[in-house]
Amino acid sequence: MLRKITLALLAMTMAAPALAFEPTRPVEFVVTSGPGGGTDNFARTVQSIISKHKLMKAPVVVTNKGGGSGAEGFVYAAGYKGDPYKLTFGTNNEYLLPSVADVPYAPEDLTPVAALALDEFIVWVNGESKFNNIKDFVAAAKAEPKAVQFGGSQSKDTDQILVSTIAATAGAEFRYIPFKSGGEAAVQLAGGHIDANVNNPNENRGQWQAGMVKPLCVFRPDRFPKGTAVHDGKGWHDIPTCAEAGLAIDSYRMPRTVWLPAGVEDDVVAFYRDVLKKVSETPEWADYVAKTSQTSKFMAGDDFNAYQTADRENVRKVLQREGWLVK
Amino acid sequence: MAEFDKGSVSRRTMEIVTALLTSAAGLSVCYGSWRSGIGWSEMGPGAGYFPFYIGVLIILGSLVTLLRSIFLSRFRGEIFIDGKRARSVFGFFLPIVAFLIVSLFLGLYIGTALYIFASMKWQGGYRWWICILAALAVSALFYIVFEIGFQVPLLKGPVENWLGIY
Amino acid sequence: MGNFGYLMDGFATVITMHHIVIMIAGVMLGILVGVLPGLGAPNGVSLLLPLTFTMDPISAIILLSCMYWGALFGGSTTSILFNIPGEPSSVATTFDGYPMARSGQATRALTLAFMSAGIGALAGVMMITLLSSWVARFALQFSSPEFFAVYFLAFASFIGMGSNSAAKTLVMMMLGFAFATVGMDTISGGLRLTFGLTDLIKGVSFLVAVMGLFGLGELLLTTEEGLRFEGIKARVRAIDVVRTLKEMPRYGWSILRSTIIGIWMGITPAGPTAASFMSYGLARRFAKDKSQFGKGDPRGIVSPETADHSAGTSALLPMLALGVPGSATAAVMMGGLMIWGLTPGPMLFIDRPDFVWGLIASMYIGNVVAVLLVLTTVPLYASILRVPFSIVGPVIVAIIFSGAYQIANSTFDLWLVLGFGVFGYLFKKLDYPIAPLVLAMVLGDKAEDAFRQSMLMSNGSLTIFWSNPLVSAIMALGLLMLVWPLIATAIGLRGSRRRAGQSAKA
Repeated sequence: MLRKITLALLAMTMAAPALAFEPTRPVEFVVTSGPGGGTDNFARTVQSIISKHKLMKAPVVVTNKGGGSGAEGFVYAAGYKGDPYKLTFGTNNEYLLPSVADVPYAPEDLTPVAALALDEFIVWVNGESKFNNIKDFVAAAKAEPKAVQFGGSQSKDTDQILVSTIAATAGAEFRYIPFKSGGEAAVQLAGGHIDANVNNPNENRGQWQAGMVKPLCVFRPDRFPKGTAVHDGKGWHDIPTCAEAGLAIDSYRMPRTVWLPAGVEDDVVAFYRDVLKKVSETPEWADYVAKTSQTSKFMAGDDFNAYQTADRENVRKVLQREGWLVK
Repeated sequence: MAEFDKGSVSRRTMEIVTALLTSAAGLSVCYGSWRSGIGWSEMGPGAGYFPFYIGVLIILGSLVTLLRSIFLSRFRGEIFIDGKRARSVFGFFLPIVAFLIVSLFLGLYIGTALYIFASMKWQGGYRWWICILAALAVSALFYIVFEIGFQVPLLKGPVENWLGIY
Repeated sequence: MGNFGYLMDGFATVITMHHIVIMIAGVMLGILVGVLPGLGAPNGVSLLLPLTFTMDPISAIILLSCMYWGALFGGSTTSILFNIPGEPSSVATTFDGYPMARSGQATRALTLAFMSAGIGALAGVMMITLLSSWVARFALQFSSPEFFAVYFLAFASFIGMGSNSAAKTLVMMMLGFAFATVGMDTISGGLRLTFGLTDLIKGVSFLVAVMGLFGLGELLLTTEEGLRFEGIKARVRAIDVVRTLKEMPRYGWSILRSTIIGIWMGITPAGPTAASFMSYGLARRFAKDKSQFGKGDPRGIVSPETADHSAGTSALLPMLALGVPGSATAAVMMGGLMIWGLTPGPMLFIDRPDFVWGLIASMYIGNVVAVLLVLTTVPLYASILRVPFSIVGPVIVAIIFSGAYQIANSTFDLWLVLGFGVFGYLFKKLDYPIAPLVLAMVLGDKAEDAFRQSMLMSNGSLTIFWSNPLVSAIMALGLLMLVWPLIATAIGLRGSRRRAGQSAKA
């Protein structure tokens, strides 16, 4: 018996380097948002798809580490250098946060695995607002600097960066009021306490259905695909892109990203990349993306790196202009 | 623990010590918020504005307590804790510290089992096999509830690793 | 009355064997989650979420919401038995629940808590049934200035209670604010008071503080009496449950007042924690005989429990009607709704009345099921207190530390709990009031955010807090609460209490 075990062990150690990586213990999904947040839904959807289609033998444990705008999760994962069992879920905040806040990790402390989707940004105004297109809205803001109030989620994060970009592009000045979440910004807009927000489609969908808010334009290079009507005969496809409506910002989107700690082997990255690739090809994934009005786009390796570089470059300009850079 | 054996600690001493501790906390709050900017800009109060005055108020409140404890005779003759009670409290507190240190190295499951065994054996005076059973039962129950039932991992150490439990 | 018809349809959907079994399972899991500090309702619900992907939405929401009710009940249990609040919202229950349990009346304390919790929850559901559309519109009126005013009111109605020295109360409340400040600042997007410590980025968890200050601090106090003392000789008889039930009507006013506070706080949404504290503060303030508060006054249990549960229940309304979660647990459920293909928001009532009214019907039945289930377990829980301390003590310590670890998988939190425990012991012995610290910790950062958002909206002018009738009314009420002790003294209401307090101190 003992000999058998020894032999088996020997065989395992010898065979291991030749074999590709395969997790043998529970994989921890580190979610860089609180329960119920956008990143949380993303990670739990991936988890449910993996378990439904049995894309991975090892079980998955999800932990929420949304403290410090997600810094908690990234710092935690960065501390597990070379650990192939910590998969971290986030957005572009992974490389954004270290530029605007003095957080104890660098973007390089995590290895990019893949991005699975792009979340869109839309300019929303109150349902009874006098503005029906972005041009009038911007013109009004220009006429009265700092009178128009934009609400958004968090400070110096994607929302405020977009508002700053709009201001710079249009030559207008806005006031930005940070809230804890996009949900709060949505209700403040529905209640008419702020003039506009730049929420993701999912965050304002319910209020749009009821006509409490209305979209002005979307920061996509092309319109949403055709779909069913949401409110008053209008659907997502009817929202003009901001560029075509007269606000020269071609595209502003937020990737849904997955990371590993730095220092993991290449075959580990390859393993998770393949799993996530398979996830992105399931009907359940298509369903999730459609329901939340995101755009499914699988990016890994050089694609993803190129996307990151471009995104960081754009953001960096805004941060520099606003004087938000910490380092 | 030697000082406690000699006698008891007066309430006045502890009042002064605690007030000093809270004012130290106040000072560090002031320092920390001063670093994040304590001004009032056109955007309203800065990040450190409220925390700074919170720190100031902590120091003020602590000073009042401190001065009152030193100069007023309110707590004269009052005893904070006597030797016998102190021994009892430390007899409970020190094993907890040991439990935490052991857990850092061996994980919470082993730490818990050892801690429960030790407490029951030396504080409760139970027979050793009862203690072992209880210790194992609690650890096993934790494992079933947390690890299997709710899938929240507890801190694990080398022993679990060696047993192949992750 | 269309709502009533819908509700009856809802009952017809929900009252099936399948759904009742789901309810019982949900409540039981919830109680377990609530009893274990550190797990908590939001975590419990998110753990169950993947299970529900394959269920139909109505069964799924019944499972999740019943787990939520169960967790709320479980949180009160540990507050009363061990002075460890399993949920932030059950902190206020410890003030009188724990002393009552210690005096050998654990059964009575638990029964009071569960019954008033059940009543509060049912009141919350009734409000949802009758007033949903009106309430949703009311909730939309609230913006940052109004939120600040509500937090101010909550502080004002809680402050100035107790006979502790003013300087100590001030220190404790400010310490609470300071702890709430640690971590990421929403308004500026920068880190504050972390002193370069990685472990402080996530902030100081409220549960960590509470487990140390209350749970561990109390254990240390208990051990002064020696480690070998036997359990409390509590008589555990089922008849005590019945006797306490008969006692309930006496607290009618407390319950009514707490229900209103709870519903209001649940929908605005300031949350169940603020509601329970405010309700406790007001119960004490309006009581003629305050001498028993903090020593096991039944009103001190009934009031926070009623408010906690009516707020917890009403918090689901903004989620359904507006698409904003009123609590952390509601946020998770909202995530679930989206995954099941439903859009929380005003149209949900119109598009999927079967779902909404099925949920509402399940809230009625689920809460009744929950109360019945927990009531039957009361004697069981109460008998835990009879186990000798040398067994129970270490087990509680182990549960506290494993719970603290689970909050953020951080060993740093273990030491924080230990530190808070030592301070809890010191504070308790030196008559520092712990409640203001806890309240400040819960509401401090929210109040600060609301204040600074208001300043952004008004360009730094404080007049925004008097800019419309709603915010003015709440601010005025808050100021009234703040000076109420003075008014009461003037009228002479407090005369007797003051004399009693002085003679006790001397």
